[in-house]
Amino acid sequence: MSITEKILCSKTHEYLLEENNEYFIGLTDYAIEQLGDIVFVEMPDTGTEFKKGETFATIESVKAASEIYMPVSGKIVEINENVVNSPEILNEDCYEKGWLVKIEKTSDDSELADLLEYEDYKEEIE
Amino acid sequence: METYLHEKHIALKAKMVNFAGWDMPVQYTSIIEEHKNVRENVGVFDVSHMGEIFVIGKDAEEFLNKIVPQDISKLTEGKAVYCQMTNHKGGIIDDLIVYKLKDTTYLVICNASRVSEDINWMSLNQRGYNINLDNQSHNLSLIAVQGPKAIDLLHKLGYSADQESFTIIESNLLNIPMYISRTGYTGEDGFELLVINEYVEYLWDKILDAGKEFNIKPAGLGARDTLRLEASMPLYGNELDENTTPVEAGLSWSIPDDKFSNYNGKTIILQQLENGVEKKLVGLKMLDKSVARHGYDIYFNGEKAGCVTSGGVSLMLNANIALAYVKNVKEICTGSVVQVMIREKLHDAEIVKLPFIPKRNKVIRRK
Repeated sequence: MSITEKILCSKTHEYLLEENNEYFIGLTDYAIEQLGDIVFVEMPDTGTEFKKGETFATIESVKAASEIYMPVSGKIVEINENVVNSPEILNEDCYEKGWLVKIEKTSDDSELADLLEYEDYKEEIE
Repeated sequence: METYLHEKHIALKAKMVNFAGWDMPVQYTSIIEEHKNVRENVGVFDVSHMGEIFVIGKDAEEFLNKIVPQDISKLTEGKAVYCQMTNHKGGIIDDLIVYKLKDTTYLVICNASRVSEDINWMSLNQRGYNINLDNQSHNLSLIAVQGPKAIDLLHKLGYSADQESFTIIESNLLNIPMYISRTGYTGEDGFELLVINEYVEYLWDKILDAGKEFNIKPAGLGARDTLRLEASMPLYGNELDENTTPVEAGLSWSIPDDKFSNYNGKTIILQQLENGVEKKLVGLKMLDKSVARHGYDIYFNGEKAGCVTSGGVSLMLNANIALAYVKNVKEICTGSVVQVMIREKLHDAEIVKLPFIPKRNKVIRRK
């Protein structure tokens, strides 16, 4: 199963990936492609709680700053230090290596209802 | 609007954006790659969106002297000069390069976003001068070839003129009638080739083809912006506008203090040169990894002290840089640390000397 088959995507281009009951949030390859060369990621502090739809990080590309929104409500339990140190990882691999944060979900699965499977997301944005 | 190279950009899979009403390539592969390639090798830009206005007639010199602070009388045939067109308050209507083609013929290259304002202002000032304004912006295409290998590439195409910086010649390179000027907006040595629209596709192909051995890459508006920022060149709409004078914008070097003839805004500009100004344009180097952007506020000792006009990444300095207007007080000077408000947090930035990077074009023309 490829990674894009395991993710759920928001219409604002964040993905949610569940692996062994851990939840990772990142940006889709489509979003990364649109942003171009990424030079800086401003991460939240671990322990911070955000509601679905709230801004939790900001990504600076050469061109502009873009806010990143929570696809579900959750508490930040880990940030990807590799991405902080080498933001260009996002341009190379935004899924396996380039996830942004690991969260603990703070709501039930009803929030997942408006997230899209990758194939449907692709169709939606094209 | 589309330039005559639009199809070429699409075929190259460029990412297109709207710029001043034109559908323009912002990047082909990566802004970073395109930027570096202009610094190291050579890049080619479609800048056909730029405006070209010919000022023709026996009063052309006198007319131009009326609308810019720069002294047009000092221009000899084939020379070019950077200047600003000012309003009665000394505010900048546009920044221009004026080329003297003949005694009675000048070419003005202006910003795409300002062509109609420029024409309008020129027309308002035209009364009493025996001149014609010929706006050729939609009939002409402009290609910029920029970088240390630009000269080698032109030689390969058959160019043999020996041009200094800020000069223009008429040429028949590749049997295409064109103007070639040794100017640009990257801080590198380079050329701008002006042709009628019908020849531009052929010229573009020839340049890309001949440029292969010099590692040529097409470069988009994204790299054009990061290159000009690193070279500390102002951008109209960011550093320059109708409420900012050339003195405030740090362009006093382009205002001769001995110019005899009167020009729009002269009284205010001369006063400012004499007595100083309230705000000044400075360079900032961010002291962390954050990026300052256009419109962000600047603080000094806890008080608002200015505003960022352009910000981004300097690939040569490996740091994030910005241009900003700050209060013109002596405490805020080179070496001072100010704070930039970025998403409700203050980030330290040091005021550094401009230009951010040393001049790299061969012939420096500074007054």
